[in-house]
Amino acid sequence: MSRIKLLQFFLFLVATGNIYAQRTAADDLFSVNNRIAFAEYLFCAEDYLRAVVEFREVLKSSANDTARFRIGYALNKMNRYREAEDNLKGLFFSSQLSEEARLEFYKSNYFGKDFIDYGDLLEYNNYLPEKYHSVLLKTYHNKLLLQSRSLPDSSTFFSVYNSDEKEELLKFYMMKKRPGYKNETTAALLSAVLPGAGKVYSNETGDGITSFLFTGILTFLAVNNFQNDHKIRGWIFTGLAAYFYAGNIYGSAAAAQNFNAGIKFNFEKEFILFLDGKNHFFPEYNFLCK
Amino acid sequence: MIKIIFLFVAFFFLSSLSLAQTDWIKWDKAEESYQIKSEYGRNYKWNRTSISSTVLSGAQSLYYFFISDLDGKNCPFHPSCSVFFIESSMRTNVFKAALMFADRFVRDTNLFKRYPHYPKHASGSLYDPVENYLLNQALVKYFPREEIVE
Repeated sequence: MSRIKLLQFFLFLVATGNIYAQRTAADDLFSVNNRIAFAEYLFCAEDYLRAVVEFREVLKSSANDTARFRIGYALNKMNRYREAEDNLKGLFFSSQLSEEARLEFYKSNYFGKDFIDYGDLLEYNNYLPEKYHSVLLKTYHNKLLLQSRSLPDSSTFFSVYNSDEKEELLKFYMMKKRPGYKNETTAALLSAVLPGAGKVYSNETGDGITSFLFTGILTFLAVNNFQNDHKIRGWIFTGLAAYFYAGNIYGSAAAAQNFNAGIKFNFEKEFILFLDGKNHFFPEYNFLCK
Repeated sequence: MIKIIFLFVAFFFLSSLSLAQTDWIKWDKAEESYQIKSEYGRNYKWNRTSISSTVLSGAQSLYYFFISDLDGKNCPFHPSCSVFFIESSMRTNVFKAALMFADRFVRDTNLFKRYPHYPKHASGSLYDPVENYLLNQALVKYFPREEIVE
């Protein structure tokens, strides 16, 4: 009997011990602190999609400004700007991270919206973070270099940058101020005077020489046939020469436009590479990943 | 019982005889075409929505049938010169399209290093779209020369 009771007691201890152990493991794994630690690990490893999911689970059980801010930051990184704005608006007032949240809000507008909307946002001081006002002015000037409006004078433009940044940006400012575009009218007029000259002006030397030879040979054939009293052939070659002469003028204007498109493309590509290297002058936060 | 078995065996034997190959009736080889199928099929239909489209699509089909299909794929550009003319006449008018075609024709005959000036198309030709010659700067698309355009 005592052995049976001893056995029952032993079994009771084992069963309760197991149940207790499982409950503790389950609680620890999905506790708020564990979730935050895991989400921060994912965030710092730049796995933003899963980090957002984990931070959202954290927010279901507790209010956490840092988690909310990280969600907004991660959504910006994933180019989901509208969602980022919605998440960050909750931190604008009565939060320790309100200035940083407003900066991230402007960041989502900088990357997500066009120049005019971004300019309007800055002009009307909507949710402007005073601590980062100089940063936002720099980003506005970045956008000035990427759109088609005329640039302000250099003293106004560089007033927001420090001396090192000014030195680096001077090259892009001059490229934007004097891009070296070709004028379509000039190209067309040059080709009207000398067939192919407009294409050579637009950096299409081979096409220019071909145009000149084409028009020249047809004109020569027309003149030659008229001189030898072959009027029908003369008029055919005259018509062809006039046709290709007109086509050459048209093509020269189009070649100038294609040249300008190439200039614009290469400038934007180089400038965006430069800005990516500087994080577009947005500051890095030292509290995010330690 | 024996009759049933006999009928079954006879049926089986006769059916196998009818399907088996005999010496005097051979199976013919399957008619197989080894021609490589072209990805870029021709559309010979005539577009009858208007007089101009009927004339243009008719001329295009006749040109394809009598000249292009016999001559083969010789144009170094994509779209080819005939397609370029048709597309430009649909986007603008016949006169402007004629000027664009004249320019395209001269560029096609260019003997001096045209390859660095055009990006490559996935078909292997040089990419030269109609949009770049409409004299509308907003429509001009620039592609880096090393890029392959789909």
